Amino acid sequence: MSNWGQTRAAAGGGQRGGVGRRPVGRLLLPYLLVLPILVYEGILLVYPIVRGVVGSFQSIELATNVAPEWVGLKNYQRMLSDPEFWKVMQTTLLFTGLVILTAISAGLLTALLFNRSFRLRPVARGILMMPWAMPEVPVVMIFIWILNPQFGVINIFARMIPGVDQNPQWLLDPVLAMLWMVLIASWKAFPFYSLVILAALQAIPEEIFEAARVDGANWLQLFRHITLPGIGTTLELLVVLACIFSFKQFTLIYLMTGGGPSGATETIVIRIYNTAFRFYDYSYATALGVAGFVVSLVIAFFFVILQARRAQENF
Amino acid sequence: MAKAHAGVWSGRIHLRSRLRRIVLYSTVLVVCLMTFFPIYWMVVSTLQPNEYTLHFPPPLFPQEITFGQFAELFVAHPVAIWIRNSWVIALLTMLVCMVLSIMGAYALSSLRWPGRNLFGLFLLVTQMLPEMLVLIPIYGIYRSLSLLNNLTSLALVDAAFILPICVWILKGVFDTVPHEILDAALVDGCNELSVIWRIVLPLTVPGLVAVAVVAFFFAWNEYLYASILLGKAELMPASVGLSTLKAIGRTPIEQYMAAGLIFSILPILFYLLMQRYIVSGLTAGAVKG
Repeated sequence: MSNWGQTRAAAGGGQRGGVGRRPVGRLLLPYLLVLPILVYEGILLVYPIVRGVVGSFQSIELATNVAPEWVGLKNYQRMLSDPEFWKVMQTTLLFTGLVILTAISAGLLTALLFNRSFRLRPVARGILMMPWAMPEVPVVMIFIWILNPQFGVINIFARMIPGVDQNPQWLLDPVLAMLWMVLIASWKAFPFYSLVILAALQAIPEEIFEAARVDGANWLQLFRHITLPGIGTTLELLVVLACIFSFKQFTLIYLMTGGGPSGATETIVIRIYNTAFRFYDYSYATALGVAGFVVSLVIAFFFVILQARRAQENF
Repeated sequence: MAKAHAGVWSGRIHLRSRLRRIVLYSTVLVVCLMTFFPIYWMVVSTLQPNEYTLHFPPPLFPQEITFGQFAELFVAHPVAIWIRNSWVIALLTMLVCMVLSIMGAYALSSLRWPGRNLFGLFLLVTQMLPEMLVLIPIYGIYRSLSLLNNLTSLALVDAAFILPICVWILKGVFDTVPHEILDAALVDGCNELSVIWRIVLPLTVPGLVAVAVVAFFFAWNEYLYASILLGKAELMPASVGLSTLKAIGRTPIEQYMAAGLIFSILPILFYLLMQRYIVSGLTAGAVKG
C-alpha cells in the first residue's frame, strides 16, 4: 500500500488523450493477450494430443519412416483383450489409492500438529517442506542408497523388528517394492498437502472453537463438528489433486524399479514408456496413452467441479 | 484459564498443560526427524569418507568430514557440462513462461471478456494432463522436423507444460493489485500495456519471482522429456546425467550423494522461499495463503 502515492504520480505522468479510441482496444486486448498462449499450447499440447488420438488408429513405425497404415480399432481390441493391460490398470489404481491415503493422512496429521503454536515453528515447518522441494532424481538417488540391501541405513531400523535378522531385498520383493514406491511418493508429496490443509485450518475462525468449548465440547467433537466441515472442501480438492499427481508419477517409479519386479510397480505411465521406448511398439503405446488421457480427463472433470463449488462458497 | 482457578486445581491444570507441551514437542520432534532423515543421510553419506558408510551397520552420525569428493566428482564426470545444460534449458523455459504468463494472467485477472472462464478452464485441464500422454506424438513430430537433440526445443516443451500453472500463480498475484489504481491510471490516459509495464509489474515483483522460480525449476528437475528428446551425451542436463550415475560399483558413494546434493541445493532454497505462491498456483487459486 505504501506504493499508492508513487504509482498514482507515475500514472498521472502518462500521456493524456486518446480516450475515444480505447473501447475498441479494450474489446480486442484480452484476445490479443491470450492468443499467443493458445497458439503455443495449441502447437505443443493440443496438436500432439490430436496426433496421438489419430495415431492410435494407425500402425506406426517411427524407426523406418514408413508411412503409417490405418488399422482401425485393432490397437484398442488388443488393449482390451490384453490381460497385462488390466493388470497395469489394477497396479495404477492400487498405487494411486495408497498414495492418496498415505500422503493426505500424513498431510492432515502434520497440519493439525503445526496448527498449534510452539517455539521454533518456522524452523520445523521449513524442515517439513524439504522433501517437497527436492527434485525427483536426487530423491531416487537417496532412496536407492538407503534401501541398498548390503549397506542401506534402513536395514538398521528393519533389524529392530523382531524376526528380521537379514537385510531384506527391498526392491526385489513385489509387495515391499510397491510399499516403498507408495512411501517415497507420499514422503515427497505430503508437505504440499500439509501446507494447503494448514491454510484451510487457519481460516476457521477461533471464536467458533471458543463458543463450542464454553458449551462443553470435547476434543473429538470439536474435530468432527468444526474442524472437519471447515476443511472439507479443501480435503476433497486435495484428494483429486493427489489422484492426478500420483497418476502422473513417472520418474520415481521408473528410476527405482522400472516397473518391476515382474510388473509389480508398473503403472500405466510406466507401461506406456516401456511399450514405446523399450519394445518400440509406438502404435500400441499411443492407444495406451489415449486410455490414460480419458482417465485423466475424468479426474480433471472432478477437479473442475470441486473448484467451481469452492469458488461459490468463497464468494 | 489456569490462572483463574485457585488452590488444588491450579496445580493439576499446570501439570496437565506441561504434560501437553511435552507431548506436543516430542511429536513435532519425531515428525521432523522422520521427514528429514533421508536428506540428513544424503548429507552424511556425502561428507563422510566411504570406509564408514560402506560398512554395516553404518554409524548414524558422521565420524569424520572431508570435502575432496566434490572436486573428484567434477573430475570423474562431466557434471559441469550437465549443470550448464540444465541452466540453458531452465533459463529458456523461464523466459518463455514469464512473457506468456504475464499476458495471460493480466487478461484473466484484470479484464472481463466473453470466453474468459473458458480460457481458465482450458488452462486448468491442460495442467492436469500427464506429460507421458503427449510424449510419443511430440517425439514423432520432433523427429520428423529434426528438432531432437536441441536444448531450445526441449525448453519449448517444458514451457508448454508449466505455463498453465504459471498463469494461475500470476493471476492470483495480479488479483491483489487494487482495481482503483489501474482505473486511475486508465482515466489519466495510460494505455493498458503501460499499465501492465509501469504499474502492475513493479507492484508484483515477489509474484513474478515466484513464477520465475516455478518455471526455472520445473525445467531444472524435468527428467522424462530430457531423457527422450536429447540423445547426445554432451547435451545431457543434470537430471538425466545424475540418473546415469550408479551407486555401488562405478561411482563412489560420497561422489554419488555429492552430485545429488549439488543438484538439490538451488531448488530447495528457492522453493522454501517462494512456497506460498507456488502452493496457491498448484491448487489454481483455491488456497488463499
